[in-house]
Amino acid sequence: MKILCPVKRVLDPYVKVRVKQDNSDVDLANAKMAMNPFCEIAVEQAIRLKEQGHASEVVLVAVGPQQSQETLRTGLAMGADRGILVKAEPAPEPLGVAKILKAICDKESPDLVFAGKQAVDGDNNQTGQMLSALLGWAQGTFVSKVEVHDDHFLVTREIDGGLEQLKIGRPAVLTADLRLCEPRYASLPNIMKAKKKPIDNYTPEDLGVEVGHRLTLQKVEEPPARQAGIKVDSVGELVDKLHDEAKVI
Amino acid sequence: MSQAAQMQRQDDQGLEVGDLLETCRSALAAAQALQREAEAAVARLIAPEGKVEGKAVMREQFAAHGYAWMATYVATLTETLAWADKLEERGQLRAQERLILQIGFGEYLAQLAGGIAMSQGELVRPEDMDVGSDAIDAFQNDASVKALVRGGNTNAARMRLCALLVERFDQRDFGEAGFDDDTMEMVRDQFRKVADAHAWDAHEWHLKDDLIPMAVVDQLAELGVFGLTVPEAYDGLGMGKTAMCVVTEELSRGYIGLGSLGTRSEIAAELIRLGGTQAQKEHYLPRIASGEILPTAVFTEPNVGSDLGSLKTRAVREGDSYKVIGNKTWITHGARSDLMTLLARTDPNDSGWRGLSMFLAEKPRGDDATPFPADGMSGGEIEVLGYRGMKEYEISFDAFEVPASQLLGGVEGTGFKQLMATFESARIQTAARAVGVAQNALELAMGYAIDRAQFGRSIVEFPRVGGKLAFMAVETMMARQLTLAAAREKDEDRRCDIEAGMAKLLAARVAWSAADNGVQVHGGNGYALEYPISRVLCDARILNVFEGAAEIQAQVIARGLIANRLG
Repeated sequence: MKILCPVKRVLDPYVKVRVKQDNSDVDLANAKMAMNPFCEIAVEQAIRLKEQGHASEVVLVAVGPQQSQETLRTGLAMGADRGILVKAEPAPEPLGVAKILKAICDKESPDLVFAGKQAVDGDNNQTGQMLSALLGWAQGTFVSKVEVHDDHFLVTREIDGGLEQLKIGRPAVLTADLRLCEPRYASLPNIMKAKKKPIDNYTPEDLGVEVGHRLTLQKVEEPPARQAGIKVDSVGELVDKLHDEAKVI
Repeated sequence: MSQAAQMQRQDDQGLEVGDLLETCRSALAAAQALQREAEAAVARLIAPEGKVEGKAVMREQFAAHGYAWMATYVATLTETLAWADKLEERGQLRAQERLILQIGFGEYLAQLAGGIAMSQGELVRPEDMDVGSDAIDAFQNDASVKALVRGGNTNAARMRLCALLVERFDQRDFGEAGFDDDTMEMVRDQFRKVADAHAWDAHEWHLKDDLIPMAVVDQLAELGVFGLTVPEAYDGLGMGKTAMCVVTEELSRGYIGLGSLGTRSEIAAELIRLGGTQAQKEHYLPRIASGEILPTAVFTEPNVGSDLGSLKTRAVREGDSYKVIGNKTWITHGARSDLMTLLARTDPNDSGWRGLSMFLAEKPRGDDATPFPADGMSGGEIEVLGYRGMKEYEISFDAFEVPASQLLGGVEGTGFKQLMATFESARIQTAARAVGVAQNALELAMGYAIDRAQFGRSIVEFPRVGGKLAFMAVETMMARQLTLAAAREKDEDRRCDIEAGMAKLLAARVAWSAADNGVQVHGGNGYALEYPISRVLCDARILNVFEGAAEIQAQVIARGLIANRLG
């Protein structure tokens, strides 16, 4: 079984998000970037499936700027076999990414696409679903557990009401949720090996994909700063304020 | 416009220096000239007849060690400028790196003439080295030196640097280290994560005086820490000392114990790689690299520390084995280890270093109840302030048997030389540990200062707090650059005993002052055991003592430099 893992380069989730002075976008200049944590979880799971003998190859694909190569190297250092970089700037929207991934799937014929449920920058939560529709494959989103069987996957999904088990035919698109597994650290031997692993380069045009930008970003603002609180003298005053000013009771 | 005037013409942040790099370069030349004067003066003191005399070195120790410190400062300025040049070339020299350079030069240049703190109670000045007034005046009157002393380490510069560091505190950006190597950056990021994941637990290990859990040792083994510098031919990674520094610094930034687990493997592997027989290399190196064998270094004795050549423990040949008799102490990780690199006297007729041999003495792992479950071996724990996690032991050997095949290299009388050959590596590794500890102190103190409000504002805004933090960042970066420079020398197979010694000497002092100031920034809370900075203070203190005490380090540097001069 061949597994394809899309990986996205995003702002490091542990750093503060800053807005550009002119409110045109998030300020990424000199910001620390990292692999999207949900992608990292999916890559970890794919590598585990390989280690368990269920998969023969784990291929990573990144869509984005040239620096996404660093993200690919990180995944290769975790243990993936090779990488594909589709250089696209500005970053395509989810549908554009899904179309690119579809073209890569046509080339690579994976048995499973294991993606993150969403990227922590745009929080779109769309690419996996759109890819599944474009491919006409089954989908299992928000996966917290996966079992591989000969002709199907048995997955546990985290849904609002609890956990849902689905039997999904192969090939399929799965998207990883937080509790699926904990990503490993790249070991020194694997970091050294990763340097020699191949990364193929494409552009959307090479793949015959018209990315198309349908959305325009109007304005990005910081959330309003929290105002200082006040002290009230009595319960009565508190109730009045909650009723009259906060209008919550 | 004079350089001094240029620096006076600062913008409101007080940091615009027209051609900072060139000013530093010219000031460095002046510092080098002062160093040459000091070297000549100290050579006259300790080698009046053209050859270093032991008695003279003893009498003039303060001057000689002062010279070692001066040379260390000049080397530090050299490497700091080289770092800034490299960043400038790559377009990576930002305001914070410029400020680090400017403040570092301003302060160290001022200290070169005004007094270098060899320790908190010992300031050494050029006059102590018998440098003539003319040479001192010439240095102090050099236009670039003057400009940097006046305008380099100003309050405004420190506060601006602090503000920049605070702004990027969430990114852990304390200035670009300057690797320009994606692999090194990935290594750093990965080990930063590993260290972060254990940082809080580590404080508990320290408080409970527990050994670092075996699961963590195994994790580091799996990540490749113990085989980092072992050649690939012996199943290691052959990654070199620069990578060793990066890994060591990051692990030590979480906890000195994490950064020190690899130290004994590094020493043992170097001993075997450089001095072992082919069979010893083939047997031990792969097992050390994999972490299957945890080594421990057994050199020090109750009455023998720095003067290692005089040690008393005997190894007496009887048939196919040696019987070891004597007492050893300060054995780190002594109980939970499998292999002792054991230095003992094989020639009782030679009381000096030529009578010593190194053994690869295997032992069973012990635990708290029975630390040394082997015949002819007993001992106990030495309780210590910090640097816990592996524990310290004293060990008595009473006819402990070591097979003759375990003599390192198979030749008696070479042990001391074999050990000396590992010092460069061990000192570079220790310097990297010190840089990590300094960085740990800086991050803890800055985090605390940002959150702590007094008199209606974050205390980081007070110049005596912000300035401390800024200077911690400056000195930590300078010590890092000196350490990496020594590692590069080693990687390129050049002799670097002096460079390694300088890195260790400076980094250890920097770690201690960072830890001390880190506690100060925490106020009373820093003295509370529950705050990790209290542990960092205890951990930092050992760095000036072990792996060559600061005084021994200065001695070796001074003697080495003067001997080189005399040829």
